[in-house]
Amino acid sequence: MAETTLLELVTPTRIMAQKAVQMVVAPGVEGLFGVLPRHAPLLAGLGRGIVEVHEDGKITDRIMIDGGLADVSGDSITIMAERAIDLGTADSAALKEAVAAANEAEADFLNAVVAEL
Amino acid sequence: MASLKDLKTRINSVKSTQKITAAMKMVAAAKLRRAQEAAESGRPYADRMRLVTSNLVARADVSSAPALLIGNGKSTTHLLVVISADRGLCGGFNGSITRQTRTELTRLQDEGKTVKLLMVGRKSADALRREYGKQFIDSIEGIQGTSVSFSDAASLGDTIRTGFEAGDYDVCTMIYNKFVNAITQEITLTQLIPAEMNVVDDSNASVNYEYEPEDDELLGSLLPRILSTQLYSALLESSAAELAARMTAMDNATRNAGDLIDRLTLVFNRTRQAAITNELIEIISGAEAV
Repeated sequence: MAETTLLELVTPTRIMAQKAVQMVVAPGVEGLFGVLPRHAPLLAGLGRGIVEVHEDGKITDRIMIDGGLADVSGDSITIMAERAIDLGTADSAALKEAVAAANEAEADFLNAVVAEL
Repeated sequence: MASLKDLKTRINSVKSTQKITAAMKMVAAAKLRRAQEAAESGRPYADRMRLVTSNLVARADVSSAPALLIGNGKSTTHLLVVISADRGLCGGFNGSITRQTRTELTRLQDEGKTVKLLMVGRKSADALRREYGKQFIDSIEGIQGTSVSFSDAASLGDTIRTGFEAGDYDVCTMIYNKFVNAITQEITLTQLIPAEMNVVDDSNASVNYEYEPEDDELLGSLLPRILSTQLYSALLESSAAELAARMTAMDNATRNAGDLIDRLTLVFNRTRQAAITNELIEIISGAEAV
């Protein structure tokens, strides 16, 4: 099996993802960047965008985040995001309902997620 | 001596009180488990956030660091963020927060500082409004309890940061009940601004990190997040502590009601027996007189 890096995606409420993956593409504030195993240590601010998880040469997960921080060190990448939604399991009808209940910043993010689906 | 009817009414009223307190205890216990889970699931984020920040702070240039981290050089106006509960019936929970706030207020004012208050939760706000109402900058309700949301904590953090940047206060401290275990809560004072960072010089510190964007800029965007995270975990802790306090208080109340019912039942039975004996004596002495 090919070399992997440990991806951890945490939000204030839970750990969204924790697994060994081949590559992660994250939306840095200065542009998209990919993280492969043995990436140089990096601390990067993230903007709103999609975190793409690559396994076996394919994109297996797409998680939309609303800004955050990525901590890359040696064999792991930790992404801390205040809001994150897995685009694979998100349901646009349910999200639209959530928009009505959410406050401004959250609604804005949810709308962006719906647009992405 | 109270009549039989009075005693009966009294016993019934204590019994219904006991039912209520027992139900409240059960509800609090069920909610406590959820609140504890929420507090625990919030921990990884807070821990990682703290680690990253202290790493960054350790390497940042202190002289040019953002004001949120090092303060604005003054300490004349203090802001106390007081986190209490919206509801009562939870033992000394709100009382001890209020007392601690008073102590802290007096201490700061004796030092000649101006103190402002940001009240989260209705109970302490009510208790302090009459005395210190003029010092309130805001009083927020309904963001803690069973459902604490991160966006509420974030907007609270934004309020605090905006006030600080506008120069409304120089130092910000948060007072809340920390959840230790189901029977202990610990009043905790945490300084939010300037941020208290216990810089750990771990082995990672030697690793040469790359920053994107530059470390100062990154730190600038990170500190508001740290503030929100601290508030969020304090709200979670406080909610769990509130439920734990309510559970303990209601457990005690239920037990006390049980004791009271036992005592009252004893008095009731004695009174009834006395009444019966009395009647018998009357009948017998009546029969003897004939």
